[in-house]
Amino acid sequence: MDFEFTKEQLMFKKEVVRFAQKEIVPRVQEHDLKEAFDFESFRKLGEFGILGLHFPEEYGGEGADVLTTVLAGEALGEAGVDGGLTLSYGAHSFLCADTIFLHASEELKRKYIPKLASGEWIGCMGLSEPDAGSDVASLTTSAEKRGDRYVLNGTKMWITNGPIADVAVIYAKTQPELQHAGISAFVVPKGTEGFTAGPPLIKMGVRTSQTSELVFTDCEIPASHLLGREGEGFLMAMQTVEWDRSALLAPFIGSATYLLKNCARYAKGRVQFGRPIGHFQAIKHKLADIRIFGEAARALVYRIAWCKDQGKPLNHLEAAVAKLFIGDWSLGPTNDAVVLHGGYGYTHEFNVERIFRDSRLAPIGGGTSEIQKKIISKLM
Amino acid sequence: MNFEFGARETDLFEKVQTAMRALEQERNLEKADQPENETNVRAALVSLSDLGYLHLGVGFDSDGSKGTLSLMGAMEAVALVSPSVYLAIEMSARAFGRVLSTWGDAEQQERWLTPLIDGQILGGVALSESALNLDNDPLQTTGRWEDAAVVVSGQKTYVVNGAIADWIAVAGLMEKKPAFFLLEAGSPGLKIAPRRTTMGYEGTVINDLTLEKCRVPSRHIIGPFENEPVLDTIRIWENQILLGASLGLMQAAFQAAKTYANEHHTGGKPIIAYQEVAFKLAEMLTLLQTSQLLAYRAAWTADNDPGEVRSLTWCAKVFCTEAAEKVASSALQILAGAGFTSGNVAERAYRCAKYGQIAGTSTEIARVKIGDAALGLR
Repeated sequence: MDFEFTKEQLMFKKEVVRFAQKEIVPRVQEHDLKEAFDFESFRKLGEFGILGLHFPEEYGGEGADVLTTVLAGEALGEAGVDGGLTLSYGAHSFLCADTIFLHASEELKRKYIPKLASGEWIGCMGLSEPDAGSDVASLTTSAEKRGDRYVLNGTKMWITNGPIADVAVIYAKTQPELQHAGISAFVVPKGTEGFTAGPPLIKMGVRTSQTSELVFTDCEIPASHLLGREGEGFLMAMQTVEWDRSALLAPFIGSATYLLKNCARYAKGRVQFGRPIGHFQAIKHKLADIRIFGEAARALVYRIAWCKDQGKPLNHLEAAVAKLFIGDWSLGPTNDAVVLHGGYGYTHEFNVERIFRDSRLAPIGGGTSEIQKKIISKLM
Repeated sequence: MNFEFGARETDLFEKVQTAMRALEQERNLEKADQPENETNVRAALVSLSDLGYLHLGVGFDSDGSKGTLSLMGAMEAVALVSPSVYLAIEMSARAFGRVLSTWGDAEQQERWLTPLIDGQILGGVALSESALNLDNDPLQTTGRWEDAAVVVSGQKTYVVNGAIADWIAVAGLMEKKPAFFLLEAGSPGLKIAPRRTTMGYEGTVINDLTLEKCRVPSRHIIGPFENEPVLDTIRIWENQILLGASLGLMQAAFQAAKTYANEHHTGGKPIIAYQEVAFKLAEMLTLLQTSQLLAYRAAWTADNDPGEVRSLTWCAKVFCTEAAEKVASSALQILAGAGFTSGNVAERAYRCAKYGQIAGTSTEIARVKIGDAALGLR
């Protein structure tokens, strides 16, 4: 066992922090307050190589390993990039692009991956439905095969990047009677007749990511847009869990580092009762709890990434432990950060209230804490 | 990066746990009178010495199980069987042993360290005094030269192994600088108070000591140190010991609760079938795994990242010792009446867990230090 990153990995992380601080962070608040997706930042992520980091160079990627990819996500959080943009990045690069990369025909891969890696196109993934969230087997969107085409009907809900995506990976039932085994995955390009996206939902946090429903009404797509084979969709969705529990959680670790630095800076500058509030033990305790959360969460995420790099099958128990811990425990430090800033913390003057709002998605999105407990208690 | 222990390490962990289980079958390791405690500890010393456990972390590590990280895994394996014997052994092998291996000269190491790692002698370290806070209150125990010896006077509190140790390293000041005075049991002037009755760790002998003009020959003195962070370093070792204890306590409490939840039926099904029990177990396992990785990483920094070791050990100490109390409390709740019965693993873990938050660097002081580090004050 050892916990050392290579020098190259650590240098890369620093580069990402510098890049994000300079190119992305200055626009975060403006877009958060307007609930607007930051297309410019997204494309810059692509130009810098982050969106396609883990794809091979021949597909426009950088060929990075999973740990390096996780460090990039952590660096974005550490720089102060908002949870909305990192969520959009995660849905785009891992839930959509990676599924296409792993399961699509070579023709579709050549068509989509380079443009998704560069940020020219935006991807999304549609699994959840209004009445099928954690209970995936109960989804009702159907895909009926008619000759050399599939016809999709149904509604998807809570789709990150839904209103802005150029391409979607959609899970639908080809054999409804088979429950999980009847789920298949498809690539559906924007502009396909019968495919519409609803208006962006107004959300408490991660407001720069655009979330909507997707509606499919007799939406015909070529049979070649089926990913893998019929009935393999559920397994494909499960494969994305490896990314969901590593690269998508990584920004939360980075965010803890960001909070710690910013809270410490504030505590040194804010004077009450004749001295900086950082001199009071109660404030030091809050700083400590922010750091402790970040340190405790760190290795849980790295462990998932390391296992993936080693080619080990995902340990679903360890993945659920990482998600449950970060989901539930990230709320305390982000709340502490707001309280530490007092009245200023409750305003938009500092980023802490935004991070507090963003973090509230952690125990909900990508599998609620309750579902993680269910998984852990079943597997332990 | 690598998240797996090597084969030799896991083999060692299994062996030390098996050895402790064997002792546990023969003896009551957790609740006994003082003579029995001493016999238990000395039996464990012999047993663990044969496996190389006492060598760990004191410069005699065998191939494949080197360093503080291996030590942490092995400590966890011992602590999960008997926290009391674990604490006694660690304050001997790792605290007393590391004072010698880190700062003792060759002659001192030959005289004390060799028999210590062979399990022939039991040691202890006397650090705390009545104020208990080493940061705010300088040590009052002092030594001054008188002829060819140093005369040491002072009072020490909460000394693990105080009444049963063969040798105790007493921390004090000499010429206003920190030093250790190695005192043998029965030394003239060394008075040992009756054993403290404690909430947890009932199988550990903890005493207060009074030193009244104890004469210590020069070859029994380590130090005085000019610019060495001696007390800080000992606190790191203590904190590592308490981390190992916390992991062991959590493991034991979690396993007991899980077993009970599978075996105890109500409403026609095992109680683990109820989400209020199963989800509690899931939260416990999450705390356990998170604590393990944090403690292992803190242990790893001790050998690989000296700049981070202090603050990361404080982080781990706070998190793991508080997690231990939570896990033990949940285990006790799941075990219900059985858990509330004296001697149950969960109630024992619950009581012992509190010690982890108080001893070494207390969680309050640790948080202040972590906060200071964030503010650039340390």
